[in-house]
Amino acid sequence: MKAAYVRAMDALYLICVALAGVSLILMALIIPWGVFTRYVLNSGSSWPEPLSILLMILFTFAGAAACYRARAHIAVTLFANLATAPVRTGFALLVEVAMAALSLFMVIWGTELVGVTWNQVIAEFPFLSVGVTYLPLPIGGAITLLFIVERAWIGPPSRDSIVFREPASAD
Amino acid sequence: MDALILLGSLFLLIAIGVPVAYALGLAALVGAIWIDIPLEAVMLKISDGVDNFSLLAIPFFVLAGAIMAEGGMARRLVALANVMVGFIRGGLSLVNILASTFFGCISGSSVADTASIGSVMIPQMEKAGYPRVFATNVTITGSVQAILIPPSHNAVIYSLAAGGTVSIAHLFLAGVIPGLLLGLSLMTLCLAIAQREGYPKGKPVPLREAGKIAIEAFWGLLTMFIILGGILSGVFTATESASIACVYAFLVTMFIYRDYKWRDLPYLVHRTVKTVAMVMILIGFASGFGYIMALMQLPFKVTEFFLSISDNKYVILLLINLMLLALGTLMDLAPLLLICTPILLPVVVKFGVDPVHFGMIMLVNLGIGLITPPVGSVLFVGCAVAKVSIEQVTKTIWPFYLAMLIVLMLVTYVPAISLWIPSLVTF
Repeated sequence: MKAAYVRAMDALYLICVALAGVSLILMALIIPWGVFTRYVLNSGSSWPEPLSILLMILFTFAGAAACYRARAHIAVTLFANLATAPVRTGFALLVEVAMAALSLFMVIWGTELVGVTWNQVIAEFPFLSVGVTYLPLPIGGAITLLFIVERAWIGPPSRDSIVFREPASAD
Repeated sequence: MDALILLGSLFLLIAIGVPVAYALGLAALVGAIWIDIPLEAVMLKISDGVDNFSLLAIPFFVLAGAIMAEGGMARRLVALANVMVGFIRGGLSLVNILASTFFGCISGSSVADTASIGSVMIPQMEKAGYPRVFATNVTITGSVQAILIPPSHNAVIYSLAAGGTVSIAHLFLAGVIPGLLLGLSLMTLCLAIAQREGYPKGKPVPLREAGKIAIEAFWGLLTMFIILGGILSGVFTATESASIACVYAFLVTMFIYRDYKWRDLPYLVHRTVKTVAMVMILIGFASGFGYIMALMQLPFKVTEFFLSISDNKYVILLLINLMLLALGTLMDLAPLLLICTPILLPVVVKFGVDPVHFGMIMLVNLGIGLITPPVGSVLFVGCAVAKVSIEQVTKTIWPFYLAMLIVLMLVTYVPAISLWIPSLVTF
């Protein structure tokens, strides 16, 4: 059961990184395209900028969930490191509770925001709801919650996990 | 009481080890509940925080820097620096610092600089007879130039934290002299230490070989000219120039240098996602925090507090510097920029300090924080690359700290160091 959950979280982690990575690459390509159409084709496209912003939101919340599993977020561990082992364990528990509380807030109030804005449309993309813009918030929160459950139930990903994998050519 | 609730909950959460980004989000929630603000409004501000076109410059600058750094650029910059200063006594320490100056032109990350330049230079310096700890000190202090020399994604973060009212182009230009001044100060110190300790001289590089090295490094250094040229000529915005720099960096790395393997690209994107996403979520949550802070009129109260201490601009700047140096020993640069800028900028503006000048003060100051214990990301990376202990470094790094503090005081009290170049350019 635990192994299956870890495999599922590995898959979810890969999906998050892939979504964020593809968003990043697309953003890096469509903005130069906007410059190209403005200066070379003499008819600037209006879609690269709003589309990049949509991708940026997706990148941020999918990437942030992946960062939690990879322990990449900046944290001050000085005081925890100075504390005795039982206090350190207590701190670690409190950190996970705090993270879970904020992720839950993102799920609940993010969903509320998506609901409220679902019937409005984005000016540049009339076929897209404004709610889509806010969708990465509750989804990112829900994925972070699943990663928190993994950490609390099974523990952090091992060093040979997909999270820390580097190319064979790296030092 | 409002401030106590907001800042108290923030510092408590940070102290127990909650990631700074999430601590900002939670403190914003606590503050919103305390002053009875609908939580949807906080949620909206968090999303709006990353819903900003200028912000896109940050991932692009990081990505372009990562492509260049991992695609063999560090080695070429070290070779170019060696041509220029390697033949002087203590030359390799100067090469290390000059390579960081060049590296700053392609990447705004001190951590990436330390990892890239350090892994090339530290073993080379040790082999030539320099103590490994000295090589580490040179590498980590030299890397702070990267956050000042344009393009600096930290300057973009400062601009956003200042509410987007400070021009990114002006900040980029303002960073040139402080960055070079820092490099020159460290080089002067290294020269003095090299003379005293009798560190070796390198051999001059033959002209023909020097030309070849310069051409190889030229392609990478051109990145900065594309970025600055594009912005200053008004052809591109900062974000557009950063995205073009990404495409350019990719083309140079994969088709001119050809050091990087195609199959390793997904790993590079993976690492960049982790580096950038943590900054972006920090910006998002800091936006929610800033919103609550503004509703509580915290910046106004802080300004009043400073005015009650002194009405002398120089005293206030000294106090702010001391406070930031203390905070910098505990926390990383990006979160401190995002937390402190909205609070302190109104204070210094009230005292007549230019926001661009204050940006440089913050970057130099918090740059020092990157290499001071107990928490200094560049210090940690430098020690890991060199395989030396933090204790060994902190025992010997004091002359370098002193040189950096002198630069900080000069940048603080001589505004022209930051403002002269931007004053030459009108937009």
